[in-house]
Amino acid sequence: MDKVIEIKNLTKLYKNGRGVSDVSIDIFKGDIFGFLGPNGAGKTTAMKVMTGLIKPDRGDVKIFGHSVTKEYEKAMTHVGCIIEIAESYPYLSAFDNLKQFARYYPHVDHKRIDEVLELTGIIKYKNEKPARFSLGMKQRLGLAGAILSRPKVVILDEPLNGLDVEGMIDIRKLIKHLAEQEQATFFISSHLIHDVELTCTRIGVIYEGKMLNVESTQNILRNYANLENYFVSEVERNGRVPSCAR
Amino acid sequence: MAVFQAALVNELEKLYKKKKVLVAVLLSLAIIVVGQLALVLVRSGFGLRGAGSVEFPMLVLTIVVNTVLPLFTALVTIDIFSGEFSHNMMRITLTRPVSRFKLFTAKITAIALFILTNLLLLLIFSLLAGFLFNVNSATLGAFVNTVLSYMVTLLPMVVLALGIVLLANILKSGVSVFFAAILAFIGLKVLGMAFSQYSSLFIIPLLDWYNLWLADSLPLMKILRQLLIMLGYAIMLFTAGFYLFDKKEF
Repeated sequence: MDKVIEIKNLTKLYKNGRGVSDVSIDIFKGDIFGFLGPNGAGKTTAMKVMTGLIKPDRGDVKIFGHSVTKEYEKAMTHVGCIIEIAESYPYLSAFDNLKQFARYYPHVDHKRIDEVLELTGIIKYKNEKPARFSLGMKQRLGLAGAILSRPKVVILDEPLNGLDVEGMIDIRKLIKHLAEQEQATFFISSHLIHDVELTCTRIGVIYEGKMLNVESTQNILRNYANLENYFVSEVERNGRVPSCAR
Repeated sequence: MAVFQAALVNELEKLYKKKKVLVAVLLSLAIIVVGQLALVLVRSGFGLRGAGSVEFPMLVLTIVVNTVLPLFTALVTIDIFSGEFSHNMMRITLTRPVSRFKLFTAKITAIALFILTNLLLLLIFSLLAGFLFNVNSATLGAFVNTVLSYMVTLLPMVVLALGIVLLANILKSGVSVFFAAILAFIGLKVLGMAFSQYSSLFIIPLLDWYNLWLADSLPLMKILRQLLIMLGYAIMLFTAGFYLFDKKEF
């Protein structure tokens, strides 16, 4: 199988002791990888390193064989992402915001911008400024920006934040559609365990900055009633879950 | 190069779409109107000549180079850096296939183009006002000197902007950068006056270096010395600013 993302011995520790320590994961072509963990487990830190927003203390991330720390432009050529909140320029319209992204990709034209606005369900707000958007609409605009260049890898940190039920279903369908039709590989972090179960094909559990296990969703559901049980069991096995959560 | 161009066009589009920049340009132009009105009033009220057609743009430059031009340069620079840092907007661009060096250079280039546009607009409108209201004493030599004075002012203004970029990468909030920049501006100006023999080293007094270009016989060695000092400062400030920008976590 083609290795798309290679995270090797990744360590990034903040002064407060939080962060990630010695994380290694391989993501293969076509994976919809769910990065599961409670708040503060290190999901966002790992994803920030993957997208070059912060530099690791040790280790490296390679995307299509290119190191994020050494060959950033090459590594990010086929990557679309949202990290934490999907930010946008409040003084530019939704269309102009996407036009800003489009300039980095010669093959992306105005037709494609309209297409992603349609796909994410915000085409009617095309000429409106995000300053007046709800959190869900901003998130949809961020998703439109992430998939604009038809990326081969999409990194999404809590993509369902702020979305209503309809929005969650739409985005879930969109992720599956892109994975099947365009063979895009997804790396998604979420604490919404049910959504991860419904969307992802492989699951990695991170707890207190350390990777506990990586397993396919199919295998997990063969042995556990649901993903939640697996998650609790994994954390428990490592002796770190408080008794009240058992 | 295509990536740098994309980054630069993006920065220019953001500048253009922000109302602050438009206000800065309009206020710069308002100075010309107010200045010209004052001259007309002085002439009609007191019978004094005021300023001739090509003297008026020089009068405008003398005023703006130590007031509104550094002020607007500071505001735009702070907006481009601190403004985007504080609202996590840097992430929008930083997660695209563009290196931090290209992005940093594109931002600096956009600021330099803003200063150049501001100078050109001031030059054109002050020349127009000068010719409209004071049709006398215009010579080709004086006209060339005026254009040259405006153009050479770009260099010290860019050095000033690079200094503010460095501050924006050190201090967290835009407000603190603004006040630190004002204090540094006043401090360096005072030091330049107190130690006049070393004034070139305090960089801010070099905002007036266009005066050197107006002399009948150009003081070439002095111009070269000040040019090299400014280039030296530009290289040091750019490098220090980029070093901090590259290390920044978003």
